[in-house]
Amino acid sequence: MVAGVIQQLLDGLTLGVVYVLLAAGLSVIFGVMHVINFAHGELFALGAYFALALIAPFGGTAFFAALIVAPLIVGVIGVAIERYTVQPLYGRNPLYHILLTFGLVLVINDLIYLIWGPGASSLARPDVISGTVSVLGLGVGVYNVFIIVAGSLMAFGVWASLEYTRYGLIIRAGSQDRQMVRNLGINIDRYYSLVFGMGAALAAFAGIILAGTRQVNPEMGMSVIIPAFVIVVLGGLGSFKGAVAGGLLVGILQESILRPYFPFLEGMVIFLLMIGILLIRPQGLFGTEAPEDESGDLLTGSRGGFLDPQTRNRLGLAMILLLALVPLGAGTLYSTFIVTLMIEILIWGLFALSLDFIMGYTGLVSLGHALFYGLGAYVVAITIQDVTQSVIVAVALAIVISAAIAWFVGFLSIRVAGVYFAMITLAFAELFYNAIYRLDTIELFGEEREVTGGSEGIFGLDPFYGIAGIGVDLDSIGIFVGTTVLTGQLLFYYVALAALVVGFLLTRRMLQSPFGSVLKSIRENEQRATFLGYDTVVYKRRAFVISGALAGLSGGLYTLFTGRVFPDNAEWMVSGEVIVMVILGGMGTLYGPIIGSFTFFSLEHVLTGYTDRWRLVLGSIFVLFVIFLPRGLVSVPELLAPYLPGGPGPGPQTEPAPEDSSTGGGD
Amino acid sequence: MEAQEREPVAAGDTILRTDGLVRKFGEFTATDHVDLEIERGEFRSIIGPNGAGKTTLFNLISGALPVTDGTIYFDGEDITGLSPQQRVRRGIGRSFQISNVFGGLSVRENVRLAAQSVHRDEYNIVESLFKTTDKYERMNERTDRILERVGLDDIAEEEADVLAYGDRRRLEIGVVLATDPDLVLFDEPTAGMSVEETQGTIDLIEDVLVDQTLMLIEHDIELVMELSDNITVLNRGEILAEGTPEEVANNQAVQDAYLGGMVE
Repeated sequence: MVAGVIQQLLDGLTLGVVYVLLAAGLSVIFGVMHVINFAHGELFALGAYFALALIAPFGGTAFFAALIVAPLIVGVIGVAIERYTVQPLYGRNPLYHILLTFGLVLVINDLIYLIWGPGASSLARPDVISGTVSVLGLGVGVYNVFIIVAGSLMAFGVWASLEYTRYGLIIRAGSQDRQMVRNLGINIDRYYSLVFGMGAALAAFAGIILAGTRQVNPEMGMSVIIPAFVIVVLGGLGSFKGAVAGGLLVGILQESILRPYFPFLEGMVIFLLMIGILLIRPQGLFGTEAPEDESGDLLTGSRGGFLDPQTRNRLGLAMILLLALVPLGAGTLYSTFIVTLMIEILIWGLFALSLDFIMGYTGLVSLGHALFYGLGAYVVAITIQDVTQSVIVAVALAIVISAAIAWFVGFLSIRVAGVYFAMITLAFAELFYNAIYRLDTIELFGEEREVTGGSEGIFGLDPFYGIAGIGVDLDSIGIFVGTTVLTGQLLFYYVALAALVVGFLLTRRMLQSPFGSVLKSIRENEQRATFLGYDTVVYKRRAFVISGALAGLSGGLYTLFTGRVFPDNAEWMVSGEVIVMVILGGMGTLYGPIIGSFTFFSLEHVLTGYTDRWRLVLGSIFVLFVIFLPRGLVSVPELLAPYLPGGPGPGPQTEPAPEDSSTGGGD
Repeated sequence: MEAQEREPVAAGDTILRTDGLVRKFGEFTATDHVDLEIERGEFRSIIGPNGAGKTTLFNLISGALPVTDGTIYFDGEDITGLSPQQRVRRGIGRSFQISNVFGGLSVRENVRLAAQSVHRDEYNIVESLFKTTDKYERMNERTDRILERVGLDDIAEEEADVLAYGDRRRLEIGVVLATDPDLVLFDEPTAGMSVEETQGTIDLIEDVLVDQTLMLIEHDIELVMELSDNITVLNRGEILAEGTPEEVANNQAVQDAYLGGMVE
């Protein structure tokens, strides 16, 4: 018994030390530069892969050399990342760093796939640190001890160099007041690169030592980045001490307490903890004052208005008509696959629209919109499976439940500003994602019933488009339009199109109402809106509820579209991808996100024809957008206007249109 | 509307009173037991050297900062615990520097947002989501009236960002007026302005906000002497002196601590 407890504690400590190294870099980077580095997990993975490559030719004896060389290489990569991608964004809203580093995740992750392939490998390690030793009659893994000792030494070394060296002093001073340090004649930008490189090297070191006991695989970065954020938030963004305490706490909690004794709660407790901390003490356990949100607005594309309202309306109408024609050409002009692709574009267009409604109009960046999308998807699936086949009931439930949860999340978190709001939405989404796995089945009236189906998900749905027996089954009817017969997916296309058009018109109407006026004023200047007598928190919460409802609708539609649902529909990559779409198209316009969705899926479609690693290209494009074209595609006409001879510029539809010319709606 | 003169202050009708107001930032005391009493219709200026706690005082009155200790009464009621927006609704308006209008919105939208706040009780939540703004008559009437009052009716559809300097100033004052305040706080409305611009702004304030009680933070001592009914001199968070311009000008402590230092 005692032996078991000690073994668990040792496991917890081992993982905890790895987390400490990972979180320390992340936290210091935030503390000094106010950059939230989503790519930190990928740097962690890169460390392990470089070590793998270095050790392979020489065998386990090269382990120690790799432990030094690989972090140095990753450190250099870190410096390059800081200098060429992060640096141009200083002075902008810190949320752009989140977007940028998310793009880097896509790029680096796909590079890893490209170079090392999808398989898992293990890292050879020297005999010296293998096997077990007997400590007080207990068999203890030597490698565990090695991780704890080497990791602690490393963490201590970093702490000491921050605390006692000249460099450390300047870095700490810079995190207090960077202008002051500049005034002293110190080139702080060089130190920023150094800090970023050091953080990257630490992550790489952590990746290598963990890889010695676990496998090296391309998803290893993805799997640690979210826990790393939890730790940094728990300990306090920017606090080294906090990263140490948080890392050990989460490591021990996860490995020593939850996994052996409360497996049901594993993966959920840490997010509850994160939410609790953010609500009660946003600066974390060890953080000092919450850092000021750097000035700099979110850059919207709302001023691309060349066309007068009438022309825009006509263009929008023409767009809808054009979209309505798409299924008619399926099978003759192009394959039915195009229609499937367009359905995806329409559904995600609605999802992106829902996110933009809060991001582009109230400045709230949600990193957890997958929560509402996934919720809608699951509500529809569970309703159709267990309650009624009626799509109307299922979709209505999806909207209502998503709105209710959005109200709840908004009620708790909207008063928490900026970066912290982003983190709290991420935590809620991860909580839900983990709950999906836990709520596999439940006991109901003594009978075991499937709820979410765990990792398998729910499939084989048989939706009925109607209510109380009045309606149609899309799979068993056909509608003739001339000589073309529309069935199944081709009919569902119209359901998706109708949802998008209704969502678009509804939100547009809202923006013309007194409510929308206030939203726009919040985006322009929230403090001023307060001093006109508006309780801006209430308005933001209402916007969040509407956004959640629309996201839930889009998730529900996606379930109807694919006929199944599984946890991937709610993972954090979903939240990231929808942000990518909003940025690609342009925040702060209603048609921008739809254009973004179109661009995203068209790119995916075209690129997958050439390579499986399309995210590499997409990620690179996204990174370029964040740096050079943050207002998105809708801002292109405005940018080009000065160079065009006379007259109004082209309309908002200037994206590179691939084979199918139909984009989603105009304003 | 024809030009009106500010009416003489009616003694005994207090609109704003602060009682032992304290605000600390860590160890530093920015506002130190300030007792103020402002009469309805009064033009009160707050002066004092940099760091005297003038802006902090305004932040406390408007609710932008919570008090550390003390009480604020407005119209005889304790408003110390109210949020900024609740205070605005009670009639405390706050003017910002002109760069603070909603730049991306039109002149009309700027004013209408303020008017909408006043008329917010006239529509329910569902209606306010879906009924377009042009359907609200009283709100739009109020907007038109104010646009005319500040002379912006002919450029109401322009985006606030592209306005000329003087017009932005008019807009800022129009927006404050549209919130229907009884008391308006002006924090250095003329900062960075030339002599003529300053005079123009003051004239506009005096002309448009004729029914309001005004509190003004201002560096230009001559201007303050000319305009104010009463002046409060702050120094290191405390009230150093208070009274009519003559009384303050002749106060020895003020001359020593402040005016002497100002005339360089």
